[in-house]
Amino acid sequence: MPTQSDDKRQAAREVIDILQEISILLNTKLDRTELSLCVSLIENGVNPDALATVIKDLRREVELSSRSPNESSE
Amino acid sequence: MSTRQPARPRRIDDALSQLVDALTPPLSLSAFRDEYAGDAEEALAAAEEQRHHDFLEHAWRVLDTHTNSADNPASPSGNLGIGRRGSLAGATGAESINNASDLIKRKLLRDNASPDKAVQFSNLYSRLLTQPVLSQKWGILYLLYRLSKPEASEGLAYEDERPRSPLMDPAKLQRMLAKDQRTGSGMAASSEDDGPAVSSSASQMAARPERKTSLRRQDLERERDAEHGAAPERLRMSRQHESAGGDPRVAEYLQEPGMDEGKSRPVESGLLRDLPFNLQGLSSNDLQFMSTSTLKLPPTLPIPMVSILNTLAEPCLLYRGLSTFVEGSEGGLISQSLRAALANELRSYLGLVATLEGEIRRALAAPQELGVPKSGVTLKRCVIWTRDATMALRLMSLIVEEAKNKKGGQLISLIHGFSTSHGDPFVCNFAEKLLAHVTRPFYNMLRLWIYDGELSDPYKEFCVVEPEFRPSTDPRRIATSVWEDKYKLEDDMVPSIITKDFAKKVFLIGKSLNFIRYGCGDSGWVEAYSKEASKELRYGDTASLETSIDEAYKTTMARLIHLMDDKFKLFDHLHALKKYLLLGQGDFIALLMESLASNLDRPANSQYRHTLTAQLEHAIRASNAQYDSQDVLRRLDARMLELSHGEIGWDCFTLEYKIDAPVDVVITPWGSTQYLKVFNFLWRVKRVEFSLGSTWRRCMTGARGVLGSVDDKVGADWKRARCVIAEMIHFVCQLQYYILFEVIESSWDQLQASISKPGCTLDDLIEAHTKYLNSITHKGLLGSSTSSKAAGKPEEGFLAQLHHILKIMLAYKDAVDGLYSFSVAEFTRRQELSAKIETRTAQGQWGISERDILSSRHSQAQKLASASSSFSLTPNVGSGADGVATPSSLANHDLSADDHMLPSLRSRLRDLSLEFRSRLNTLLGDLSYQPDVDMRFLAVVMNFNEVYEPVRRRRATTISRDKERERARRRAAPSSGSEAQAQIRKEKKDASSNGQ
Repeated sequence: MPTQSDDKRQAAREVIDILQEISILLNTKLDRTELSLCVSLIENGVNPDALATVIKDLRREVELSSRSPNESSE
Repeated sequence: MSTRQPARPRRIDDALSQLVDALTPPLSLSAFRDEYAGDAEEALAAAEEQRHHDFLEHAWRVLDTHTNSADNPASPSGNLGIGRRGSLAGATGAESINNASDLIKRKLLRDNASPDKAVQFSNLYSRLLTQPVLSQKWGILYLLYRLSKPEASEGLAYEDERPRSPLMDPAKLQRMLAKDQRTGSGMAASSEDDGPAVSSSASQMAARPERKTSLRRQDLERERDAEHGAAPERLRMSRQHESAGGDPRVAEYLQEPGMDEGKSRPVESGLLRDLPFNLQGLSSNDLQFMSTSTLKLPPTLPIPMVSILNTLAEPCLLYRGLSTFVEGSEGGLISQSLRAALANELRSYLGLVATLEGEIRRALAAPQELGVPKSGVTLKRCVIWTRDATMALRLMSLIVEEAKNKKGGQLISLIHGFSTSHGDPFVCNFAEKLLAHVTRPFYNMLRLWIYDGELSDPYKEFCVVEPEFRPSTDPRRIATSVWEDKYKLEDDMVPSIITKDFAKKVFLIGKSLNFIRYGCGDSGWVEAYSKEASKELRYGDTASLETSIDEAYKTTMARLIHLMDDKFKLFDHLHALKKYLLLGQGDFIALLMESLASNLDRPANSQYRHTLTAQLEHAIRASNAQYDSQDVLRRLDARMLELSHGEIGWDCFTLEYKIDAPVDVVITPWGSTQYLKVFNFLWRVKRVEFSLGSTWRRCMTGARGVLGSVDDKVGADWKRARCVIAEMIHFVCQLQYYILFEVIESSWDQLQASISKPGCTLDDLIEAHTKYLNSITHKGLLGSSTSSKAAGKPEEGFLAQLHHILKIMLAYKDAVDGLYSFSVAEFTRRQELSAKIETRTAQGQWGISERDILSSRHSQAQKLASASSSFSLTPNVGSGADGVATPSSLANHDLSADDHMLPSLRSRLRDLSLEFRSRLNTLLGDLSYQPDVDMRFLAVVMNFNEVYEPVRRRRATTISRDKERERARRRAAPSSGSEAQAQIRKEKKDASSNGQ
């Protein structure tokens, strides 16, 4: 059993490695944690399209919020 | 909001909140420092908490709205209806994966100039596919795809419709990935700019690594080549999916036909994929070559497909057969060149197959819209495209089939037959094309033959052959048959591209050149000629070929005749032959005969060559022959024929004219024997004439002296004998005149005329000479075949008749000699008697006493036997030895023997003269019914005053009747006068001669 879980973890790491490379190729700007989170989300049945929208929205908002305080502060 | 929380799966919630955390950077403290100086930390935490919550809430909203929209059945997940949350559980598996990877690859290609990244992605992707961990590979990929360009999120939906840059060369990519991609260049040349092409090639590649794990593996198993075979199906499915993803409405339409065609479509595309291989004669899974002539079709196909495949199977099988033929190496040069020509044609066929393959690949790689292939390569089209090629293949295999047992010229004739007599212009042109190649070795041979006179034909394909089996005659013949037998024109092998006359000419040219080179030893000229005149001969320009052949013909023939005349003095030899062997040189022959006469009277075995040659030399020296050229005289030789016991010199003697190498082509050994035959006959006639002449001379001189005194006793006999001899001399003279002047001279004239004609060839010469000899032998009564046919009985040929008559003449001459001796003896007896009487009278006694008479009678009785044996009992007078001996022996006889001697001599003379007459009559009768004018003329000349009664022999029975009549006539010579008019006249003559 422990070997099996080891194998699984090993496989999961490999998958994440591959996916990370792909994401680098595609310039998605996701780091490893985010990627694994996304993978788990999708594995749990989240629509990738929706997830992508969410991530994009989040990024935009973060960008906005980080920019506006800076502007206001100056 | 919190009420909704439990509805959300915890794991998703946790992960989502973590994700939000990870995505939102911590708020900078500085932003809050001013306002909340005191509990900045706290405020920050609260703000963060607030923000996180907001974000999470927003995320959930987004997810939920997506889930709602995913309820739309057309959406990729929704149509499957599993999972409310846009879940892709049990998703469309491979199709989804393909779709996402497609999108990614396309994007990579679009964004990067070089395909390196796409290749990299492909590798990664293939690795990912092998990982069993993820069940939603498509999802994550799609996510990554969507995230890949956050900036261009607006235009995302229309991404697919944007035209692609022409720089995106899918072929490049394909080449890098698929090393066995044969049609790469073709693809590159015709690479399309539009998206579908790119996508299709990408999907094709994407499909490849997946084949091992593919769930549809069993579907693909029927494909012969997994790599190529898998692609179409993959392609089809991916395309289906893609279009479904792009436009939900299209997907619905596609689903149905896609399912429907599921059975036949892959088969057709698989067949198409395999078709190029099949067309090259290779077996595929569906189409297997069972043997050289059968192709097994898969049994499960629908009938229309089977019929199409049947049509397509023809070129496959034909190509297979032809390629095995082309690879073979047996057969002669022409069949090899046929092979080469066919190989050429097959190469162009393979070119066609290659283009076809390119088309097929492109068509299979091209996207389909509404199930219709864009470039439209179908099996049916392939049938159309290969139709011309099939025709050509069919023709070729027909040629190969028919050429199996043919070689050389026959082969050329066969193909030429196609090119000239086939109604289909395609066939004509094709055969014409082949012919240009196939005839090349033939023309090479022809060239060598007509310009060098060399036969270079290792496989016996030329129309001129060197016969292997020489006629098995005597070796002398073989040595001299250089012209006639060395080469032969094989009519079967003459290709129909040249006419018969033409072939004959070609044959003659080569033969002449060869003859000039080897027979006449003039290879220098031949080499110079070939160097100067030789030129390339090709199929097609018949006119120039003909002129060059004609030219070569003229030159060669002129040269040959020139050589024959100048170097080998052919005409001099012909003239010499006529002069010496045909007795044209009268003084020489007369002298020779005179000097040889005494010698030749002796038996054959006592003839010596040296005496003969000495006499010949003498005759030459003393006659005008001495002025002839030394070369000619050197060839003249006297010799004896094969000796046989009991013959005298006359029978064996012969003159010979030696002919050596090149000239013997014209004066063949056969010609030489003909000359000898004529000479022997003429020599015999001449001899008879000579002996008759000498006898006549003796008679004439004797008549004045010796014979005059015994006129009372043998005067009548002598008168009759002189008449008969005169008749005979007349006959011989007429015969000689006829042969020498009417026959030989006129034939000679014809010969001269025909050989001095301009443009006369050696063959013409030979023919003229043969004709000359034939006319001499035929008209000179020696032609055995024709005359014997005319006479009805072979044994009664003219030659035999003449020989018989000549024999009778000789016998008669001997008998006359006997008569002469008898007369001389009588004369001597009388002289002795009168001398005795005179002496007795002088002594005073009685001139004649009874005792004398008694004694003379007694002695006569004693000698009678020997005397009669020497004359009357010798039926055949051909033995001249006896004839010569008789007079002397007779002189020793007792003179009183004359009482018995004289009657026997008389009867013999009479018999011989009668036989001569009857024979002559028969001969004249035969002659006057000859078809030849000259021979009839001879009969007229001999019987100019109609003294003879020509007897027409009709059958063998008439001959015997004639003989009986003769015998009867002889028995009743003096009396009977009641028979036919001829009989009466003859008897009258007999009676008158008897009376005188």
